Amino acid sequence: MLKVENLYAGYTDVPVLHDVSVSVEAGQFVSIVGPNGAGKSTLFKTISGTVAPMSGVISFEGIDLRTVTPPKRPHLGIAHVPEGRQVFPSLTVMENLEMGAFTEAGQKNWQTNIGQIFEWFPRLDERRQQLAGTLSGGEQQMLAIGRGLASSPKLLMLDEPSMGLAPAVADFIFDKLIEIRRETGLTILLVEQRVAEALEFADHGYVLETGRVVLEGDHGTLNADDRVRQAYLGM
Amino acid sequence: MTEFQILTESILNALVAGLLMGAIYGLMCVGLAMIFGIMKVINFAQGDFMMMGMFVALFFFSTFTQQLVGDFVGPYIAVTLAAPIMFAVGYLVHMALISRVTGSRTAKLDGEGHYAQLILTLGLSLILQNGAMMLLGPYMVTIATPLSSSAWMITPIWDDMLLIFINKARGVAAVISVLVIIAIGLMITRSRLGKSLRAAADNPEASTYMGIDVNNAHRIAFALGIAITAVAGGLLATNYPFQPFVGLEFVIIMYAGVVLGGIGSIIGPFWGGMTIGIIQQMSTLVLPFQLQNSAIFVLFLLVVILRPQGLFGRVSERT
Ligand SMILES: Nc1ncnc2c1ncn2[C@@H]1O[C@H](COP(=O)(O)OP(=O)(O)O)[C@@H](O)[C@H]1O
Ligand SMILES: [Mg+2]
Repeated sequence: MLKVENLYAGYTDVPVLHDVSVSVEAGQFVSIVGPNGAGKSTLFKTISGTVAPMSGVISFEGIDLRTVTPPKRPHLGIAHVPEGRQVFPSLTVMENLEMGAFTEAGQKNWQTNIGQIFEWFPRLDERRQQLAGTLSGGEQQMLAIGRGLASSPKLLMLDEPSMGLAPAVADFIFDKLIEIRRETGLTILLVEQRVAEALEFADHGYVLETGRVVLEGDHGTLNADDRVRQAYLGM
Repeated sequence: MTEFQILTESILNALVAGLLMGAIYGLMCVGLAMIFGIMKVINFAQGDFMMMGMFVALFFFSTFTQQLVGDFVGPYIAVTLAAPIMFAVGYLVHMALISRVTGSRTAKLDGEGHYAQLILTLGLSLILQNGAMMLLGPYMVTIATPLSSSAWMITPIWDDMLLIFINKARGVAAVISVLVIIAIGLMITRSRLGKSLRAAADNPEASTYMGIDVNNAHRIAFALGIAITAVAGGLLATNYPFQPFVGLEFVIIMYAGVVLGGIGSIIGPFWGGMTIGIIQQMSTLVLPFQLQNSAIFVLFLLVVILRPQGLFGRVSERT
């Protein structure tokens, strides 16, 4: 579904990502882990188009994304839930969700989607008319995820959904993702610093360090790898 | 009439004149608010685009709407026709010039491109003023309607000795202004387009992830802002003589109104403009005519010092 091949990308002449290849098949749950500054968010931004690739190929369902402008990409079915949530602070919860449903698919399935989103996150239902900027961090994360789901995506990309949240809230968010995945079978690409959880449920995982993929495999392989056990799982 | 009655009468008349002017100022301010308040783009030429809108409306009026529908309805049809023209002008100016100093290109620059915007639009302002001067000359003109020289007279219920005059052209302009504001308010708060404009202003990067074309959103907001201010100008032109440099008087009022009303709000600037209209007209009771605008600035400074989020602003960030 999503294929990133030999990608180089960055903000200046010096690339942040070096020869990165990642692929996500339809129906898969893929996790990318790695330390701060490894380039995980840069990879997501390059897929979404807010960072331009220097070389390499990114394709989604066989379409070369270099031929698709960034604001058209969500309409193909890619939802990007960015790092730090990035909700629209001066819009209400409901308006944020409506912006999520800016895609054709999102508009068509609005009624069904909004019902499901409120079932998963009743807190959003209670706060429909509240300005998103006044929500707590956990609520903003629920909204960011709900906003992504409202687009009826084929691929949901989540960038560190647990970042900056109290452990209990992060646990809740993580459980919800697993629940959503179980109920819908949605294809997910997750970046997380909570390595244990990220790898536990993933069909496939990548370890990204200083802009390079240093390891990949299914969760059995990764969990068994000594470096992963030491560096990320603390075993 | 007693002295008290005379005083009451002048106060009421100034208040009503202020409300009428204030409604038109309010509409102007809402136009600028789309550009400066919402999209955070400094447009120093806003007053000159208003002047252009006034001349476009005058052109339509004198070439055909006057003959076609007459002196009474003609001016308002001309103003209505000027709106899409000015929208197109705004759209093209943004495409050719403003987009070079806004949006992602300047996000990382010092002052987010505001210096470049200031210089570019100051240049535009000079070109528009002097271009109009060369084309049209320094003459005072109006969109002449008989409404501007007649008035409705009303007496307050508590004292039938008092007489309040409502200039008909101003009254009609004020009513139309309020209707346009309501339409814009609904568009911005309820419609998909309006919400996407606010989203694009709130967070351009996240908007892109929603599938919103941020550059296009900026362009539409700019063009709408120009068209709205131009409509306010056209309405003003039915009761206010103007010439190519009329923009200068009003660009200051517009910025003051937006800041008073609250940057980032759309309806706040309407009340900001309304406040300015009332203060300006009321000040004529106690100040000589030449000092009218200083009253505005005293109020402006007071608000900036005491209530920097604006008289009608609200805070949307969690603190
Ligand atoms: N907007 C930016 N401009 C310049 N450099 C950036 C920018 N964002 C990130 N970087 C740099 O790119 C590298 C990778 O960052 P990032 O992709 O955010 O890592 P991660 O998400 O894995 O923590 C870091 O060295 C960071 O300093
Ligand atoms: Mg990151």
